Amino acid sequence: MASRKKVLLKVIILGDSGVGKTSLMNQFVNKKFSNQYKATIGADFLTKEVIVDDRIVTMQIWDTAGQERFQSLGMAFFRGADCCVLVFDVTAPNTFKSLESWRDEFLIQASPRDPDNFPFVILGNKVDLENRGVSAKRAQQWCQSKNDLPYFETSAKEAVNVELAFQTIARNALAQETEAELYNEFPDQIKLNANDNARNRDGDNCAC
Amino acid sequence: MAAENKVESEADEMPAAAAADPSAEQKERLIAAVKKEVKQLMEEAVTRKFVHEESGGVTALCGAVEACLGQGLRRRALGLFKTSSTTALLHKIAKHCPEAALVSARVLSAEGAPATRSASGVERRPSAPRPPLNKRGSGSLLSQTPTQSRYLWIRIALFERQLAKIIEHLVNNATRYYERDALVADPDYGSILSSLLVGPCALEYSKAKAPACFWSDPPADELVQRHRMSAGTTTPPSVRRPILNFRRSLNASSDDTSGSSAGSATVSSAKDYVESLHQNSRATLLYGKNNVRVQPKDVEEPMPGYLSLHQTAAGLVIKWTPNQLMNGYAESEGVDKSVYWAMSLQVCVWEVVYVHVHRARASDALILVGQDGVQRPPIHFPKGGHLLSFLSNLETGLLPHGQLDPPLWSQRGTGKVFGRGKSRRRPMPSLCESGETEETEWEDVAGDYVFRIVNNAIADREAMRHSLLERAVQSPPRTPRRPLASTSTTSSDSSTMSVDCPPSAIINGQPPLTPAQIPPIEQAASIELVCSTMRRQIISRAFYGWLAYCRHLSTVRTHLSGLVHPNIVPTDGTESGLTEEIWQSMMDENGAVHNGDEVYRLVYYGGVQQNIRRDVWPYLLGYYEFGSTSEQRSEQDAACRRQYETTMSEWLCVEAIVKQRDREATAASIARLTEAAGRATSSTVETGEVFEDDCSVISDNPPIVSPEPSEREQKPESKPVLSRAPSIDEVENIEMDSEEKGRNDSKVNGETDGTSDSKEHVDVDSLNDIDDDEVYIKSVVENPDMRRESIAEIKRLAEGIVQKGDGRGLLCSVDSGNMTLNGNDLKSSMEESQPPQQKHASVIITNPSVDLAASGSPASSGTTANVSPARSPLGVVREESHSAGASFDTLEPSGDARPDNRSNCVSPASSNGGVYSNELVETFALNLHRIEKDVQRCDRNYPFFTDENLDKLRNIMCTYVWEHLDTGYMQGMCDLAAPLLVTMREEAAAHALFSRLMLRAKDNFPTGQAMDAHFADMRSLIQILDCELYELMHAHGDYTHFYFCYRWFLLDFKRELLYQDVFAAWELIWAARHVASEHMVLFIALALLETYRDVILANSMDFTDIIKFFNEMAERHDASAVLSLARDLVLQVQTLIENK
Repeated sequence: MASRKKVLLKVIILGDSGVGKTSLMNQFVNKKFSNQYKATIGADFLTKEVIVDDRIVTMQIWDTAGQERFQSLGMAFFRGADCCVLVFDVTAPNTFKSLESWRDEFLIQASPRDPDNFPFVILGNKVDLENRGVSAKRAQQWCQSKNDLPYFETSAKEAVNVELAFQTIARNALAQETEAELYNEFPDQIKLNANDNARNRDGDNCAC
Repeated sequence: MAAENKVESEADEMPAAAAADPSAEQKERLIAAVKKEVKQLMEEAVTRKFVHEESGGVTALCGAVEACLGQGLRRRALGLFKTSSTTALLHKIAKHCPEAALVSARVLSAEGAPATRSASGVERRPSAPRPPLNKRGSGSLLSQTPTQSRYLWIRIALFERQLAKIIEHLVNNATRYYERDALVADPDYGSILSSLLVGPCALEYSKAKAPACFWSDPPADELVQRHRMSAGTTTPPSVRRPILNFRRSLNASSDDTSGSSAGSATVSSAKDYVESLHQNSRATLLYGKNNVRVQPKDVEEPMPGYLSLHQTAAGLVIKWTPNQLMNGYAESEGVDKSVYWAMSLQVCVWEVVYVHVHRARASDALILVGQDGVQRPPIHFPKGGHLLSFLSNLETGLLPHGQLDPPLWSQRGTGKVFGRGKSRRRPMPSLCESGETEETEWEDVAGDYVFRIVNNAIADREAMRHSLLERAVQSPPRTPRRPLASTSTTSSDSSTMSVDCPPSAIINGQPPLTPAQIPPIEQAASIELVCSTMRRQIISRAFYGWLAYCRHLSTVRTHLSGLVHPNIVPTDGTESGLTEEIWQSMMDENGAVHNGDEVYRLVYYGGVQQNIRRDVWPYLLGYYEFGSTSEQRSEQDAACRRQYETTMSEWLCVEAIVKQRDREATAASIARLTEAAGRATSSTVETGEVFEDDCSVISDNPPIVSPEPSEREQKPESKPVLSRAPSIDEVENIEMDSEEKGRNDSKVNGETDGTSDSKEHVDVDSLNDIDDDEVYIKSVVENPDMRRESIAEIKRLAEGIVQKGDGRGLLCSVDSGNMTLNGNDLKSSMEESQPPQQKHASVIITNPSVDLAASGSPASSGTTANVSPARSPLGVVREESHSAGASFDTLEPSGDARPDNRSNCVSPASSNGGVYSNELVETFALNLHRIEKDVQRCDRNYPFFTDENLDKLRNIMCTYVWEHLDTGYMQGMCDLAAPLLVTMREEAAAHALFSRLMLRAKDNFPTGQAMDAHFADMRSLIQILDCELYELMHAHGDYTHFYFCYRWFLLDFKRELLYQDVFAAWELIWAARHVASEHMVLFIALALLETYRDVILANSMDFTDIIKFFNEMAERHDASAVLSLARDLVLQVQTLIENK
């Protein structure tokens, strides 16, 4: 298994500036929230290993600048993305409205093989704030209208749904990836299953 | 032995302390420690799928368990007196507990005991040293405890999954081994301890870190630290290598495997060893064995060390590291380890021709002989098949491109063994092929074996070439049986001949001839031929090299001559930079500084002293002219400030509109949500309906982004409509009503000057009327309040003169507001739309303006209030605050100011055509929101940016954007303005400097072209100054690879450095324009890159790695070193161009 290829999932986070892209990423990767983040300039990424369906994968999460005119530059590096996360701020309706254009822009720039089925995940962030401007229903409806995209209401500040959302992101990204290399990966999966069972059993024992 | 004692005493202390304090608290603490470690280990297992045996978590857990077991142990009674560890205890209980027996046996064998020793483990070793792997160490200087051998038995028991059972046994028989009050003897804690360990015992532990997918990239810090540690003795990067000549510097480690001799590759191998400790994605660890002894030069006795075999892209590498280097970094501080680095070995297998094996009773020795015939120091393996397993790993690793000749003999059941008859003393080449097995005792017989390492890939190629060459000169065909040099290798048949090594060795110019192996005479001719070929090749290569160099230099000249100034400015006397004394001395009696060049030169080489930055920066940015008198400058300041105020008054009006719309938008979304919520409750139906009506208008047209023109004028109404909704039923009535009210309000305005009190009553009343909207309105009201506070503060600062300023500001803003009104009237002639807005404004926001106006000049405020149009009150508030704020040192004559302002006010309004067209408002609104978002986030960890100063920053941004609405706000502008504000402290001046700064910087933003040019220049510069780095970065193609520089260039390194360093860097950049280079940013970027070049090269970072690395390194650079390196780089390029 030593020669096994490292599974790297490239995840791009897009959304208007100030919706909490950096915070979400940091909450997921570092389990920390800071209100000290500055506006992202250029692009940054963090990596995190996660287990998805009994496989260990490395998520490479790209955080981007929110202002749309910076995108043209960054997009060049987003080719080969396995999943795209669109974030909006539930207290700011216009950030919700721009989701559509973010999605289109991404599809144009990243030009995935199968644009119709490319995995997007929509996150409505800042649900910890009280002054909501976008109702969950409205967001849900939009997501349903777009080929039933997964939608999560998150709070990077209070770590609400962040883990769950990124698990879904990883899973969908992996599905995207696996389609291409299903053949190669198959034997490994069996092995890892065995491991995982052992681990689960341990976990049960350990629950003190 | 000192180290061992240390360890022992350390371990002793813990139980002793535990015994001294027999309280439950102590036990609780011990058990909590175990719990914590177990938890962490389990978490690690969950996230990583398995736990590495040498993981810190394992060691920590073992330590915690050891502490538990040691507590209350009946040492004396059990005869465990003076033994450090519980290891003896383990051996003791091995009699009764089968699990313990198993582990005990393992421990003994791991301690280096011969495998033949009885596995029962009954034999007690009371003085078993704690770091057993070191007991053969040949001196006290060698014995440092490798961490992994600590708590050896617990470790082994854990890996063997027996630990929980052993502890259970101990707990069950606690009375025999432990004091009454010991933790283990405690009925609760004892069982907790054993059950806690069940989980860790069931985990998978892995020795190999090999699978790449489990390897996570070390953080930038770690990389830098590793580099520092391994390169401690190298020359600092600022000591530059000679140009074009440093490609193969000692420090260059990208192909360090070529440095095959032990001494020559000291530093790079050191780095690699450090690297190899951390298994990475590029090198697979094939084999590792500790306590392999090697006798380096200048050392009398063989030293134990760690031998490892790595598979890299370039081939196999054998490494040996003295034990002294194998310990943690922390211990390495302060100790000069360079001597050990010099001893370490690193051998590229492809450069080894022969592997000699000498087997003796004592130990097995392995000697590597390189192509150059040089022998590496012998490597002594401990007994017990280690040598064989090393060789078999080596053989496996050589595949598919190479092989051991002769191959190891594969024997069913026992694995690989030495080939028969390959002993040098008994060359029997055919035995291997025939597979005869006549001597069965060979394995235990001391003997010498020689293996040759054959590299098919190279040999194939070279053999082909060689045979072609031969054919060309009609030399006698080589017979397969005639290897040029071979002692005991047997290239037994013609098929293997083609992969013969010696020809390649000759081509490489290193004939592996030893005195004993003089080639036959008939080969002399062919050698001669080869030599002449070599000669020709050398000459042609030299020629091509020279040609490449010439081309290279021409590239340098064409591409880089524009980047630097041709003349080199001397550095004399610039060490301290521009200090206050120098600055003062340069000023003449009129306060004029004439010697600009000297200032630039001083600043370029030494920076500016902090307390005169405020004075110098305007010069550096070209805002002040050199030679201007202080009088001229203050005039310039005043004019600038007036201009600034005027501009502010313009955008403040628009801001008022934007705010208004925002409120509506908020109201609309609140309404939408309320609507959803309100459907259930009948009590809010009335409100809900009104809101619903309103939001039906708004929801289709996002108010901020794209309202339709026709509705724009309607919208201002909607706010009052909403706020008063509860009291009125029909929308039309509302309009009428609000219109009337608005007129009333304006009348009120007209009637009295300082009627703030009465209006506040109105305020309160109107607020009280509105129940449903209360929360929302409060939030609106709060803002003006806050602003009023800050205004008051500013006012206090400004003192008496400010009052005049207030009056002017107010008047001015009213004028512009008036224009607004007129424009609107002319354009849309919607008079109804105005009064409600006015009313609203007066209800909520007018008060502060009136307050201030009252304290200012009553007459003017009275008149203005009369004509005060819809949007002016809010504008007035803001305007006043800023005219006040800007009047810190106002000396301007008030008489002149008024007409100025007036005319300034009018002109932008008229130049904008229809004043504040919808597009304009929308554009500005969009920018405003972005600015607010970014200003809030800008350097909020920096104490300077209090709310008040953030407000200033916001004003600067808005003013600039208002002046440049075509490009608008772009992320990053805030970052550029912030240091200017920090230094200048004053809005108008900071704005002026910011505008100057943006002249250059705006091209870096996506709307400009400078960024691409920067990337291209960076590429050329790196190509010229650091080929090696260039090759690495260029490996992937285009110069989008320089994207990691993006933020550097966009923000002039503002995010990369701390504030004080940013100042210095900016001064350097500004001064460099006049001293050395217009593109100083390039050289600073290059300096940053060069500072970490070795880290980048050593880790072969691809562009994502580099992005991550530099993002993590932000604000942690040694700025002064980087800046001085940048200056050096400029000098280098200048010299390069000069020496045509």
